[in-house]
Amino acid sequence: MSGCKRGMTRRKFLKMAAAGTALGLVGKPSFSFAKEEYDLAVISGEPVAATNKALEAMGGISHFVKKGQRVVLKPNMSFSRTPEFATTTHPLVVATVAQACIEAGAQQVLVLDHTLHRAELCIERAGIREACKNIPGVHVLALQERKFFREIKIPQGKVLERVEVIKEVLDNPVLINIPVAKSHSATGVSLGIKGLMGLIWDRESFHSQYNINQAIADLGTVIKPQLTILDATRALASGGPGGPGEVKKPNLIIAGIDPVAVDSYGVSIVPWYGQNFKGRQVEHLLVAHQKGLGKIDTDQLKIFKEKV
Amino acid sequence: MRTLIQALSLLLFSTLFIFATYQLPDWLPADIYLRLDPLLGMNAVFAAREIIGRALWSLVTIGATLSIGRFFCAYVCPMGASIDFLDFLFFRKKKRLGLKTGTSLRRLKYFLLVIFIVAALTGFSLAFLMDPMSLLTRFYTFFIYPLVTTLINLLLDLLRPVFGALGWVALSHQHYFQSVYYMTAITLLIFGGIIFLNRLAPRFWCRYLCPLGAFLSFISPLGFFKRRVSQECNECLKCQKACPMGAVAEDPRGTRLPECIQCRTCAKVCPQKAITFPASVSLGGEYSQVDFSRRGFLYSLAGGLGVGFLAMRTPFALKQSKHPLIRPPGAIPETEFLRTCIRCGECMKSCLTNTLQPTLWESGFAGLWTPKMDPRLAPCDQNCNVCGKVCPTQAIRSLSLEEKTHAKVGTAVLRKEMCLVWAQNKICLICDEICPYNAIVFRPVEGYRRPVVVASKCNGCGFCEQRCPVQGESAIVVVANGEIRLREGSYIKEAKKLELEFRPDAGDDKFILEESGFKVEDKEKRNILPAEKTQPKKPKGFL
Repeated sequence: MSGCKRGMTRRKFLKMAAAGTALGLVGKPSFSFAKEEYDLAVISGEPVAATNKALEAMGGISHFVKKGQRVVLKPNMSFSRTPEFATTTHPLVVATVAQACIEAGAQQVLVLDHTLHRAELCIERAGIREACKNIPGVHVLALQERKFFREIKIPQGKVLERVEVIKEVLDNPVLINIPVAKSHSATGVSLGIKGLMGLIWDRESFHSQYNINQAIADLGTVIKPQLTILDATRALASGGPGGPGEVKKPNLIIAGIDPVAVDSYGVSIVPWYGQNFKGRQVEHLLVAHQKGLGKIDTDQLKIFKEKV
Repeated sequence: MRTLIQALSLLLFSTLFIFATYQLPDWLPADIYLRLDPLLGMNAVFAAREIIGRALWSLVTIGATLSIGRFFCAYVCPMGASIDFLDFLFFRKKKRLGLKTGTSLRRLKYFLLVIFIVAALTGFSLAFLMDPMSLLTRFYTFFIYPLVTTLINLLLDLLRPVFGALGWVALSHQHYFQSVYYMTAITLLIFGGIIFLNRLAPRFWCRYLCPLGAFLSFISPLGFFKRRVSQECNECLKCQKACPMGAVAEDPRGTRLPECIQCRTCAKVCPQKAITFPASVSLGGEYSQVDFSRRGFLYSLAGGLGVGFLAMRTPFALKQSKHPLIRPPGAIPETEFLRTCIRCGECMKSCLTNTLQPTLWESGFAGLWTPKMDPRLAPCDQNCNVCGKVCPTQAIRSLSLEEKTHAKVGTAVLRKEMCLVWAQNKICLICDEICPYNAIVFRPVEGYRRPVVVASKCNGCGFCEQRCPVQGESAIVVVANGEIRLREGSYIKEAKKLELEFRPDAGDDKFILEESGFKVEDKEKRNILPAEKTQPKKPKGFL
């Protein structure tokens, strides 16, 4: 009896802890600083210059990263392919953001992804670790072991009620999502919100068990990046997400706080599979928008555009 | 001195073993111990009936033994070193059950040697069963390597909080890939048995069973260094008791030359300092002959022929093209492969993804311990070609990455009745997503987008089979059909000839936008696909 009782309290405790964590993530006031002038920064140019300009346009990295904070960068380095395949985030974009975070006083920058291919191969071929190796305090890790993940609940989840997320992401770091722009044969495109699937343990159930578009939006209610920097220096316009496919060169960096807005704009930059689409036509973005995760109509956004 | 050399040799063996992995430098012969083994060399050359380049390395061992004697067993052999070391650990203080040194057991190893050589001549590779290099490499691969990985990871797990507290980020996330293998237990039992035999006599294995030792002892009496006992000998028989090989004859002044491994233990224990190992060219003497009987020879000859015959009595032995196994890329044609492979397990150790697994009985006795791919467990990675690099007999050819990509191991087949998309209309694309060659495409079939394998673009790497989210057996499986097995020549050329293309190119996903992926006239289309009104015009995920 007593054992049963203790079990209950422990469960309750876990529930509360999970809810607390979730709340912490949800409750982060990510839309609320006064000096914000633009919803999106769309910068055209070479990776490093464009990324720096985009950060500047968003009010500078110090808006997001305060001294002593821990930062998690989530690029896409899930495939053991070199950057020209456009299946992974450009190493220079990641390195530039990491450098900026360190300069802003970040205590530590973790670059994390749960890779699809063997971790060491992804690390080797995606080139992100190589690009970041000279920046002190930056660690590029590809995690493929369940012990590095922790389960949380998704209070607002419609199909996804719980999910195992990389532990470091749950400890309230500054989370910056740095996806690459690519097509996806199940979700149309794979940009910021879809890219967050790289932070969870069990992706397969998204495909086999749930409606993947709904599940992605559910996930978006608990993992909320403070900033999304879409690497559209190259875009995989077909054959995504794993490639190989048609690689276009929009030479764009799109940054924004609102993850849906960034993605929605990202949909419009190239024709996917040879056709032009709007954000509203991408099911998982629409669901995310309807769930209140962000704005989907790009014509209502204040966009800062520049060429560097 | 001897112990030091032995330990260094074992260390070198272990180090090379660790190096046998992805990105093994081309100049580093990680399989050198296996190449140096003349028994494995002979076995492969005789069975395959051709000269194998890497096997020629064993001439070094033969030459050295001819000129020095049977030193290999005492100084070089890592199996001997392991036996000595474990003997020291477990049986040092135990009273051995004791066997008379002159027992006819000694002959056993020669009989075994004859059996293995004769079996090889019939085209059946059998020496792997008892060859010490092969045996030890196997033991390392299937037991030591996974065990050590587990222990290291366990240690890392224990220290993780410490690393975390110290802020050592990389270490606190360190984890080594845990390889797993079938047949670990069997391999351990065999090795454990060999060690346990020391309970009967020291180096029981080397004295009575080791077929490599048998071969070396055949040629060792020609060597320069021989044991000599001076007049000082007082026949205390200490040397006789101490000799780990039982090589000291009834009269302690005599030496059974084929058995002597020049370990010089006798010289060390001799109270009279009467024993030396000078260089000498003398030959013959009553103890220089190999202890062997004509009858035994005939029996083992028959044994070898018999085993060779029996091993071929499996349903697939004579119909090799119908074997069901997926072999590693670059594996030579099945018949030659079975004859050449020495089952050392080095390819399975080095395999980056752990897809290579030992075969049990799937292709009979002749296929025991040969490597096969298990794509459900892991795929073959397109950036890795290490299995061929480390193969000491080149049963798996060492290929460049480009060549290896074209060494098609099989073809993926979609089992529609199990596929989530075909059978349940679910949105699943994992096989398409993961395929490195765009060999899986989605095409509209009867109103739904369905995954289809383009056989000419599939090289059988198995990513799809491994990743398929269907529980239990995969809905997409690699079968051996279409495999390219070449004894020589270019796989790229062969693939071109067969109009195969394994290139990571843009693929034909555009099909998913067309009304139908099939190029048929509109009229016919109506006949083939009558109810096509629900045909999706947009790619999945777009509304």
